[in-house]
Amino acid sequence: MRRVAVIGVGVTKFGLHDRTSAELFAEAAREALTDAGIRASAVQALYYGNVVGGETEHQLHTGPQAASVLGIPSVPTTRFETACASSHAAFRHAVMEIAAGVSDVILVGGAERVLNVSTAESTEYFAYASDAVWEQPLGLTFPGVFALIARAHMEKHGTTEAQMAAVAVKNHRHGALNPKAQFQKPITIEQVLKSAYVADPLKLFDCCPFSDGGAAVVLASEEVARKHRKPVWVLGSAAASDWMLLGDKRDLSRVPATERAAAAAYRQAGIGPSDVDVVELHDCFTIAEIVATEGLGLFEPGAGGRAAEKGLTGLGGEIPVNPSGGLKAKGHPIGATGAAQVAEIVTQLRGEAGPRQVEDARKGLTHTLGGNTATVLVSLFGRD
Amino acid sequence: MTEPTITARVFFEKARSGQLTAIRCGACGELAMPPKELCPSCHAHQWQPVTLVGDGTIASFTVIRVAPRAHAADVPYAVAVVRLKEGVSILGRIVDVPLDKLAVGLPVRFRPLIAKDLTASVGFGPA
Repeated sequence: MRRVAVIGVGVTKFGLHDRTSAELFAEAAREALTDAGIRASAVQALYYGNVVGGETEHQLHTGPQAASVLGIPSVPTTRFETACASSHAAFRHAVMEIAAGVSDVILVGGAERVLNVSTAESTEYFAYASDAVWEQPLGLTFPGVFALIARAHMEKHGTTEAQMAAVAVKNHRHGALNPKAQFQKPITIEQVLKSAYVADPLKLFDCCPFSDGGAAVVLASEEVARKHRKPVWVLGSAAASDWMLLGDKRDLSRVPATERAAAAAYRQAGIGPSDVDVVELHDCFTIAEIVATEGLGLFEPGAGGRAAEKGLTGLGGEIPVNPSGGLKAKGHPIGATGAAQVAEIVTQLRGEAGPRQVEDARKGLTHTLGGNTATVLVSLFGRD
Repeated sequence: MTEPTITARVFFEKARSGQLTAIRCGACGELAMPPKELCPSCHAHQWQPVTLVGDGTIASFTVIRVAPRAHAADVPYAVAVVRLKEGVSILGRIVDVPLDKLAVGLPVRFRPLIAKDLTASVGFGPA
């Protein structure tokens, strides 16, 4: 298998936009191609993540539509949908296509537009990623899914609402250092704890926002990458799935798909959790970050809440998590999130993250979770 | 002669009449609910329907206060993963339990929730 590198990244500002998701993707893609110093004509395929385009924009076939809006209509284009992990799934397949020698340059990205519809509508559309027969009719929402996980984690490990709040405060502190973040304002523990319950025990400030935005990265074979500045190498990229139904999951305090994807990615890379310097992980809810830090092996099962409270995951801490602000503060345009996480890790490993730079970051990890924890992708990155 | 496979439609028809139906693998004994084509444990296709007693305990719960459009009139409402006595778990609405009395480990009993159009969904009330 050939080595694969990321040679260019681009991300739009996340938040409210008056542009279509394809336009948002196109802006990010142009930025990524410019960053890579490569012509659009060199791109041999587009792998694209988009989730609720059918519902919010009445748009299916979003892959070729995005390619057309970008202005590269003739490249083979495929849209990936693994709920919130869509563009990370797209990324992994592009890595495999280049590693296998089929293509040399692939554009990977994603975009989402949801702020053009009401919260009640977007809450319904996101719930489509849970089971339509067994879960949606009960009124289960995504905050509801993670509230069930949070309750199980609190019950088993004594995790507290204050520990979850510490994750929100930390990610908002980081987001304040990211000019592309949706929220760039620090918040306090008291603000989180006093915010209204959305799905007990999760409150409004435990939840990431609905966001519009786009992200893109350019992947290249080693031969092409060597001709460009600062390639960041893909050391491993793995996916894992798990039961769709919450009732089928044996232990709601864990996310087995995270544990399996992480084990596979570490094995591919030949490294372990202690070798990782910076992490961008899927904090759609504060509890999701706590459970992910455990599943990725950064902390023992049950220790994630205390680690967050002690500040071990903040910039300057033992293992900085979500220096971008994470989904919580940077925002979560679901089709774009996986690619945006890769963009942040590449920026960190290049040493170009400015005030949110993790000092001497050499190896990075991205973790993206789809919907009800039934999809997880983990990728590892390193620099020369 | 093999028993008819329990489909989702059959499950909900039985649920409407108050029966919670699981399936047991004739090859390895694994109990499953809701129905699956293959046994997740041994991948055989030798299911026998099993009627559960309907008693269980709350494994985890939440109170939903921001709902999808179709459930907006119901808020706040409780949803829980219930572990049945026989060992399988299923998601359901919890009804007739005050929201501040909800707790992990609370005993509950299966109670079908019948909608206006007579379709059933999984619910649990006090044991």
